[in-house]
Amino acid sequence: MYMYLPIALTSVNALLVMGLGLAVGLLSGLFGVGGGFLMTPLLMMIGIPPTIAAATDANQIVAASASGTFSHWRLGNVDFKMGLYLLIGGFVGGATGVQVIKILRATGGADFMIKITYVVMLGLVGSFMFVESLNAMRKTKKVQAAAIPAAAPKQKQGGFFASLPMQTYFEKSGVTHSALVPLFLGTFVGVLAAIMGVGGGFLMVPVMIYMLRMPMHVVVGTSLFQILFTCIEVTYLQAYSNHTVDFVLAILLLVGSVFGAQIGTKLGKKLHGEQLKILLSIIVLAVTVKIVMELMMEPAILLSYAGGH
Amino acid sequence: MKRTSCMDSFRYMLAVAVALFVLAALPVSAAQTLTCAVTPDYIPITFSYHGAQLSITGQSAPTDDLIVSIISKSTDTALKYQEKVGGLVWMKKGTLEFKDAPGVYLLHSTADLNRILAADERNQHLLGYEALRGHILIEDSKGNPATGNWFDEYLKFKKNEKVYDIQEGTVLRQHGVEGNTYQAKVAWPYQAPPGVYTVEVLAVRDGKVVDRASSNFEVKSVGITAALSKMAFEQAGLYGIMAVVIALLAGFAVGAIFKKGGGSH
Repeated sequence: MYMYLPIALTSVNALLVMGLGLAVGLLSGLFGVGGGFLMTPLLMMIGIPPTIAAATDANQIVAASASGTFSHWRLGNVDFKMGLYLLIGGFVGGATGVQVIKILRATGGADFMIKITYVVMLGLVGSFMFVESLNAMRKTKKVQAAAIPAAAPKQKQGGFFASLPMQTYFEKSGVTHSALVPLFLGTFVGVLAAIMGVGGGFLMVPVMIYMLRMPMHVVVGTSLFQILFTCIEVTYLQAYSNHTVDFVLAILLLVGSVFGAQIGTKLGKKLHGEQLKILLSIIVLAVTVKIVMELMMEPAILLSYAGGH
Repeated sequence: MKRTSCMDSFRYMLAVAVALFVLAALPVSAAQTLTCAVTPDYIPITFSYHGAQLSITGQSAPTDDLIVSIISKSTDTALKYQEKVGGLVWMKKGTLEFKDAPGVYLLHSTADLNRILAADERNQHLLGYEALRGHILIEDSKGNPATGNWFDEYLKFKKNEKVYDIQEGTVLRQHGVEGNTYQAKVAWPYQAPPGVYTVEVLAVRDGKVVDRASSNFEVKSVGITAALSKMAFEQAGLYGIMAVVIALLAGFAVGAIFKKGGGSH
């Protein structure tokens, strides 16, 4: 069943595209990531020009993250207060990142450094999460064997973070932070996301887990809430300024992804926080390996249309 | 009497000869006029569009070789290129400008192009990839001629898009009651953008182009496909809002349908 895309000016297998949407939506509901890292290259593989692939993906993430946020909200897993601070930081960071990239590109050779930095960062984050979750899972088993009730982890942040002004309690996450912390971290991820040309879910989720000390399930819901707003902005700007949103392609993708997000959320409910973390770390490491392979292997075709990641 | 009879039979034979000559000459002169028709000559782009099958037919002289081409207007195309950086990783390095390059280049012929057509004729009529190689100028972002094998990479890129293709020996000829006819079946790629395209048929004799005929066909977006495309460019703001609102509604609607998945940790 083929369908013609009016903006991408190409024809795609509708069932294949819906299947892609389903798979990426599942990841989104499960881990709270947008999935652009996976979707954009897959769309390019089936012949969608890079700029249209990236912009249309943002459009379908609006649907998937709305679907996921809604379900996680019903489960009580969305920290709106934290999400809002991160979002404000993310907007500032995104705008800053765009300027930073202009300066970096003008100096030349920046792309190389950016890509290497990103790969190293993803690799470190993935490895750290993997080892940390593995240790935590082992510990839990030992604790259970000894029949000692597991104490709830202390959600307290000491040192420098605690000394900052504007301390506030985040009820849903059960943590106290200075409002400046999520604002700063949101900006940091926003800058990196803008420079890398990706949504930043893969960095935001570990930042929420390890730096903001939020419980894993609240992390997923809050990340989706934040992604929802970021992607609304991206979709509108891309459609308005660049005319790169293919509505038909977005519909095909979101038909799959909204259901995928629901299945992901249900599946996530059945898994423990540590299990989710270890699965996410495996995916982060797989993405790292994929990027390294792409960088090292000679591409089949050395030319491409401008745009994309 | 005998003389009259001789004259009659002479006249009779002359009439038969003239009639035979006329009969023999008519189909030959008709067949030697090169004609070209393309079916369909209008291809609507609807939701289910996935390219089309073009049938190009006409009449030609019996011994001439034929080249059927669909070559769109030449334009300048900018493409990003990748190179190995630091001897280790492949990265997008910059932009190359391919000047005067046709967007679509489809060629079918009765036989091997290099065998039926002299090199200067191939270059003059832009027939064959080697002729294109000499025609397309490749420049870097500073306007200097690019070094390296970038034309071959360009061909690879365009062939992968299915908009560049040469097929030799695929124009078939028939000599029958309808005269000397030919037919070429061309798979029209859905990757080619909408527009008016010209099919040109060249008759080749003794290594030279001796005749040409052409016919147009139109590929056009219609219905919702055309409306969406128009809206995306002419009412971009509204289009953006529509894309966001529908995505939000779809997300929340499916979220609501799955409400039984509720409960907390």
